[in-house]
Amino acid sequence: MSSREDIRELADEYVLGLLDPDEQAAVELAIEADPALRAAVADSRDRFVEFDLAAGADEISDGLWARIEAATARTTQARTAEPSSRAGSPANDNRLVWWRRAAAAGLAASLVLATLLGWSLSQAPDPQVIAVLIDDAGEPVALVEDFGGESARLVILADIAVPGDRSIQVWTKPSEEVGPVSIGVIDAAMTTRLDGWRLPSPKEAQLYEITLEREGGSPTGLPTGPILGKGFAKAPR
Amino acid sequence: MRDDTDDQGHLADALRRCASGDQTALCAIFESEGARLVAVARRILRRGDLAEEAVQEGFVRIWTHAGTYAPDRGSARGWIYAIVRNQAINMLRRADRETPHEDVENLALSAPTPEAMTATVEALDARSSLRRCLALLDEDKRACVLLAYLYGFTHGEIAGRLGVPLGTAKSWVRRGLSALRECLS
Repeated sequence: MSSREDIRELADEYVLGLLDPDEQAAVELAIEADPALRAAVADSRDRFVEFDLAAGADEISDGLWARIEAATARTTQARTAEPSSRAGSPANDNRLVWWRRAAAAGLAASLVLATLLGWSLSQAPDPQVIAVLIDDAGEPVALVEDFGGESARLVILADIAVPGDRSIQVWTKPSEEVGPVSIGVIDAAMTTRLDGWRLPSPKEAQLYEITLEREGGSPTGLPTGPILGKGFAKAPR
Repeated sequence: MRDDTDDQGHLADALRRCASGDQTALCAIFESEGARLVAVARRILRRGDLAEEAVQEGFVRIWTHAGTYAPDRGSARGWIYAIVRNQAINMLRRADRETPHEDVENLALSAPTPEAMTATVEALDARSSLRRCLALLDEDKRACVLLAYLYGFTHGEIAGRLGVPLGTAKSWVRRGLSALRECLS
């Protein structure tokens, strides 16, 4: 289903820390159950660890080892205090045993991995930021989900009348220096996917707005018409 | 020059002893790798105090997870460094979410100079295949790999730093990594 090269690519991106938190967690699960992925991650780590070995030595503050010792002592105590620790598991961790069992029981590892590769390769969109656009009266009129500076979804939340010789234009302002940039023009106030533009990854508090413009969009390339709604982006938690 | 095979044996053995609850083994890992692990974490977090925090958290994890290390997870050293590096990257990402934007942007976009990146590559052993293969990459793809591995940059931060769209940054990262895999295999 997934080629060896896909797995190696996923392993590299995992090792470099490039996956988003959901994907990272899914890889960590899949590593336990999938030997091919485990081997690819091992290879990848050993390919790059040279950078770390060449890092030189930093000065360490005197108390660091004492702090580690205290922190690990607390951990050990917490674990021995657990009534359910099983015989036969490593003294300070029994997850391994659990995982081996899960793998042996044929936990649907390939399913996990396939789902994961599906996400990673198609980069199935979770919005990076969402902005609720509010009108002058404080009513929400639309919502923009920005999937990473290349595509977005505009959801219309209010009845907006668009005259025949007018269009709605969607804007965002990636930074003060760049100013407002158009990310789409639509002729009817309906939920629409906006594609075909390229901006840096959106950030929290980035401004999004919709304006009423001449049919086909603003002739100047900057917003000219009345603002129908505007709002600042928030990242989903 | 240290002997890698001996070192590997010594670290794998220390992990086995950690798993059986021997704290002197964790101390031995700290003695031999601690200072370098702090340097690795500091490269990502830029601050000595945060780097030590990452190393501390990392050692707690090494201690509690030592029993899950097995040779099929790669070298003991790769496993140990990955834990501390992940810890540092997680702290960096948490800070990205929690601190005001300007600080984070400055942190993400300003810190590693091209000279610092070149110096890191030159610090690799002259006979290193990684070094030879990096030299074969074009500059943009090399920068993508270095920014991600050494400094924990996200795709978005790489795009911002190199002044290219996100899609371009993702594709450069992929091509850079793929060329490295091929060259090193």
